[in-house]
Amino acid sequence: MNTHACLLTAEHLSFVYPDQTDPALQDVSLALERGQALGLLGPNGSGKSTLIDLLMGLKKPQAGKITWTRFALSASSAAILPLSVALVPQEYALYPELTCAENLYFFAGMLAISRQEITRRVEEAIQRCMLEEFLNKRANQCSGGVRRKLNLAIALLQKPDVLMLDETTVGIDLQSKLFILDQIKQLVNAGCAVLFATHHMDEVSALCSNILLLEHGKVVASGALDTLLIHPDKGQVFKDLDALFMHYTQKP
Amino acid sequence: MNMFAHRARQSIRIALKEWRLLLRNPHGLAVLFLMPAIFVLITSVTMKNTLVAPLSMPLTGWVLEDNSQAAKKWLNDWQQRHLGALYPSRQALQQALKDRKIEAGVLVLKGWLTSDGTPDVKQIEIWLDHRIQPAAAGKLRAELAFSTLRAHMNIVAARGGAFTSILLNSVQTSDLLADSNTPQIRYLYEIESGRKINAVQQTVPAWLIFGMFFVVIPIAGVLIQERRDGTLTRLGSFGVSPVALLGGKFAAFLVMNWIQLGFMLAVGYWIVPLLGGEALSLDFSIGWFIGIVLATSTAAISLALAIAAWTQNFDHAAALGSGLNVVLAAIAGVMVPRMLMPANLQLISEWSPMGWALDGMQAVFLGVPEASFMLPRIGLLLAFAVLCGGMSWWRLR
Repeated sequence: MNTHACLLTAEHLSFVYPDQTDPALQDVSLALERGQALGLLGPNGSGKSTLIDLLMGLKKPQAGKITWTRFALSASSAAILPLSVALVPQEYALYPELTCAENLYFFAGMLAISRQEITRRVEEAIQRCMLEEFLNKRANQCSGGVRRKLNLAIALLQKPDVLMLDETTVGIDLQSKLFILDQIKQLVNAGCAVLFATHHMDEVSALCSNILLLEHGKVVASGALDTLLIHPDKGQVFKDLDALFMHYTQKP
Repeated sequence: MNMFAHRARQSIRIALKEWRLLLRNPHGLAVLFLMPAIFVLITSVTMKNTLVAPLSMPLTGWVLEDNSQAAKKWLNDWQQRHLGALYPSRQALQQALKDRKIEAGVLVLKGWLTSDGTPDVKQIEIWLDHRIQPAAAGKLRAELAFSTLRAHMNIVAARGGAFTSILLNSVQTSDLLADSNTPQIRYLYEIESGRKINAVQQTVPAWLIFGMFFVVIPIAGVLIQERRDGTLTRLGSFGVSPVALLGGKFAAFLVMNWIQLGFMLAVGYWIVPLLGGEALSLDFSIGWFIGIVLATSTAAISLALAIAAWTQNFDHAAALGSGLNVVLAAIAGVMVPRMLMPANLQLISEWSPMGWALDGMQAVFLGVPEASFMLPRIGLLLAFAVLCGGMSWWRLR
């Protein structure tokens, strides 16, 4: 049984959409370890969401190999359990006509856990994402920030060992954004591996120790953030992450 | 936890969620319940006229362009039996029709009385109001033709002498299609079951089928939203398989179809009589009834799931689903009764999913269902459901 710290490895992944000629992803490799937050960066259309779809098994790569650890030392307990992978998609992946509580109980009910455990996990997610005052409100009547929190809370019901977040903070106010980032940071500290796709550099620098920078489906930079912040040619330190991003994506 | 039990529990929770969403969707409920009920009410009252209501002679207005004495006498005979005002000109007749003072105009053209002294039926024109029933127009035409024939025979008989005239006078007052003096019509269903065929007995099953197939609107609404917003992806990450997902949706709408059925039966039994229609008779074979409703429901939900799975967005699904339902209903004889279709179209209508359902339902509601008739139709509906269900699974797997 493999309970190694490395939960996921992807090697030389390539993917072309059926109706396109240019590859959406080309020769992409990455590794994700317990307690690691990997920032997945890149401009719009660079292949971030496609990569997440491949890793989640929603699309099949035409080339390359994805290896998941089947069992992991649980991020939330000391037990060795089947690896739990949760996704927080870019959209509000919930039922707008249901209340926040109904959404949480519905998704928790999809897990192979007892009724008591369902209640326990829902209560924990509510508390963690501070949704108490919105429980009886329909999701479509909540603000964008609350819906983002609910989106995250649903993923937390799975008690994930690996959490994949695809532009989770789009369109919300600063308070909600900082709250969500703080929650993710706590998950990472508790041993959860996080793949965090975004194009907000401040979020990456606040959260991630490593980054994978994509441009036109290719990896243009990857590794520890500290190392990457040193200019590869000049040896100087980039002014900030924005400068690094612009350098690699070759936009003035 | 046992995997089968877990999948079953997922499906039940998905079904409950679908119900919750449906109850919060007033438009979806209106499409599923109000629309078919309104159709039943309208068509039951309308069809009652066609099937069982006594056919009355339209009120006529006349213009005599033939000035012969024979024509005047003929009109006089007609007026004694059916009334009918005389108008001085075509324009006046047309205006009377427009003003709805009369329902039909009879124009007796010059030359009605031919040179040999007998009337010519081809020299009569019938002008009709747009709203007149085709059957009533047919009755008027037949009576005019019969009346002209009688005038012809009277003229010939007068030439033949007193004895011939006396013979003809014995049938002088009777009409060709008198209400009390016509052969009885009995449809095959009626002969088999002994039940009197009526409009509501035909329209309730027809519009029930139509309503059942309209589950495509709420099913597509939710499934497409789930796909678009990544909820399906998320459900996948929660370990929900396509079979559990489709099973849950199927269970929810199967129950919904039965509630539709109860509602439509109630409309036929209680509401239609309040509007002057006949009451729905619930004296039918329960076993075959359950069988054909289950098969129809299975086919309808599977088709809805296939449309929802294979369309890109809700607009596409709503347009395709509604359009397809209307076309299928038209072909099957839900909208236009099969008796009004030409023979070729009747044959096609027997080979469509709604046609199989309608055949089966009408056999239950109107006639005496037999296994040799019901089983092939139930089988075809289930085969159609398997095909559509397979297409949905393939898309969502």
